[in-house]
Amino acid sequence: MVAKDGQKISAVLSNGNVPALGAVVGGIGGGSGAIPVTSSGNFRAGLRQWWPYYAMMAPGLLFFFIWHYVPIWEAKMAFEQVRIIPPNIWVGLKNFQQLFSSPIFYSVLANTLIISGMKILLVFPVPIIVALLLNEIRNGKLRGVIQSAIYLPHFLSWVVIAGVFIALLSPTDGAVNQIQQSMGFGTTNYLTNTGTIRWVLVISEIWRSAGWDSLLYLAAIFAIDPQLYEAAEMDGANRWQKIRHVTIPGIVPTIATLFILNMGMFLSADLNQIINFQNDVNASTIDILDTYVYRLGLSTGEYALATAAGLFKAVIGMVLVVTSHLVSKRLTGKGVW
Amino acid sequence: MFGQSRRTPLERVEYVLIVSTLLLLVVFTLQPLLNLLALSFTDPSKVAGFSGLSIVPDGFSTDVWTLLLQHPNVQRGLFNSIWMTATSVCIGVMGTALMAWGMSRPGLPGRRLIFILVLVTIVFEPGIIPDYFLMKRLGLLNTPWSVIMYKAISAWYLIILIRFFEEIPKELLEAAELDGANPFQTFFMVVLPLAKPALATIALFYLVLHWNEFFRSMIYLNDQSKWPLQVVLRQFVIEGDKIAIVGANNANNNIGIAQINIRALKAGMIFITILPILAIYPLILKFFTKGTMSGALKG
Repeated sequence: MVAKDGQKISAVLSNGNVPALGAVVGGIGGGSGAIPVTSSGNFRAGLRQWWPYYAMMAPGLLFFFIWHYVPIWEAKMAFEQVRIIPPNIWVGLKNFQQLFSSPIFYSVLANTLIISGMKILLVFPVPIIVALLLNEIRNGKLRGVIQSAIYLPHFLSWVVIAGVFIALLSPTDGAVNQIQQSMGFGTTNYLTNTGTIRWVLVISEIWRSAGWDSLLYLAAIFAIDPQLYEAAEMDGANRWQKIRHVTIPGIVPTIATLFILNMGMFLSADLNQIINFQNDVNASTIDILDTYVYRLGLSTGEYALATAAGLFKAVIGMVLVVTSHLVSKRLTGKGVW
Repeated sequence: MFGQSRRTPLERVEYVLIVSTLLLLVVFTLQPLLNLLALSFTDPSKVAGFSGLSIVPDGFSTDVWTLLLQHPNVQRGLFNSIWMTATSVCIGVMGTALMAWGMSRPGLPGRRLIFILVLVTIVFEPGIIPDYFLMKRLGLLNTPWSVIMYKAISAWYLIILIRFFEEIPKELLEAAELDGANPFQTFFMVVLPLAKPALATIALFYLVLHWNEFFRSMIYLNDQSKWPLQVVLRQFVIEGDKIAIVGANNANNNIGIAQINIRALKAGMIFITILPILAIYPLILKFFTKGTMSGALKG
């Protein structure tokens, strides 16, 4: 699940503690008040001192303005009737009314929630278990070999992964069906079966992210004070007791942080994955908000309605991230930023 | 597994179970990939019966690879992917480093505001339709720049670099200032050389991000000749459009390329697409893993 932003998040996480975002914003909070920009004299002096830095930042600032803030302005289309000959007409919430009265919207929303729910329940715990197992391997070389192997899929695109799974699950010569047949179960076409396609999403997500995401937890485990283990050993703790009473409590903050990041992406359910597993037969089962927006907007040309659906997702997504951040801050004292 | 003589029999059984579970995960991860690699090198006459479980080529032939690498669509895809990714990485690293440098200076007026504005872009994404209209308005639709500039500067990587720059010792910067260096000179001659490992990490992040990008290319680029490899792969393997690779005439006749099983061609195509990732995988392991494990991106 962390898949989409996994590599970014992993890089931001430091030693399994909370993301560095906290540190960065904290640092900024401390520093920025120092220079008052209210009086014009100071402002001019500030400008003389700081203009080279603004000049260096200019390309980046321009990029963020155009590529991220102009689209936010463009999103006003959700409240308009798009006409071939501009200008568009402001229609208020009409598009949203149409959206919320459409049965497809609810089935798409349900699919999104089901797929995200399945992933949180079934994918999220796997890297934690993998990290706990990896930590038990004392032979550094063996651990290194295992790590190098299981990290690889994280760096492959969903097009490639879907291609691999299409081959793996092929009813005629895929490995899975060959094993099934040899055990006398007959064949299943997992990709065109509405009952199995969501499981394919879950398994392929595990294939992709279980290894790499375990690195975050492993880093957290390595940061645990070795004295805690020594103390546990002196108390006669065995392997499982050490895991239960030292390792797991030590990585709870990391688990909490990553859980929150996942909750924030609850309405995403990963477009890049689904768009490569979708076909005419299974479409209705794995049609999510993002594929709905894509189809509605770019295939059917219902721009305003599609933008409204996208905006709905963006706003709820934002509320989810901010809420879970606040909840986490309450519970663990640490948040996303 | 050796040198653990002090362990009790139960602990040894546990250890074997742990190692076996992880090795099973390794097999689950690598077998599907090795199977496709083997398939792509299998003798064309034996492709039809090639088992999905095997990881050794049946016979040996480079026909699939020769054919694919000589195919104009594949060549064009490779060419597009390489130059577009290279351009994105250069723009990304330069733009991110410059912006991160400014944002890492403690006294910079408006620093907090800029930071919040960047955070907002992580939390709030209005979706693909507004993005699409932006491209249209900028006149970038159906040009490679619509894809190259997508995520050209990633907010996440920006934050990573800011954090790195903040840790550069003040003394070094002050020394440069005393020597009469202006902020530009300080940045290019002191900061960038110091930040080499961090920049390498960011460059790898961008490289993987842009090489694997397919969705924006799919929606922004109508013209097939502009497609990167991922979209060519997608058309052939995911959408099952044989004609793209095999050609309309060959698809129905059993001549030329069609004699090679489509299945082997797909396997080869998948591997051509991941080859660059495999080539830099040792670097990825070194920088990504160390970057995460050590917390700071000091390489």
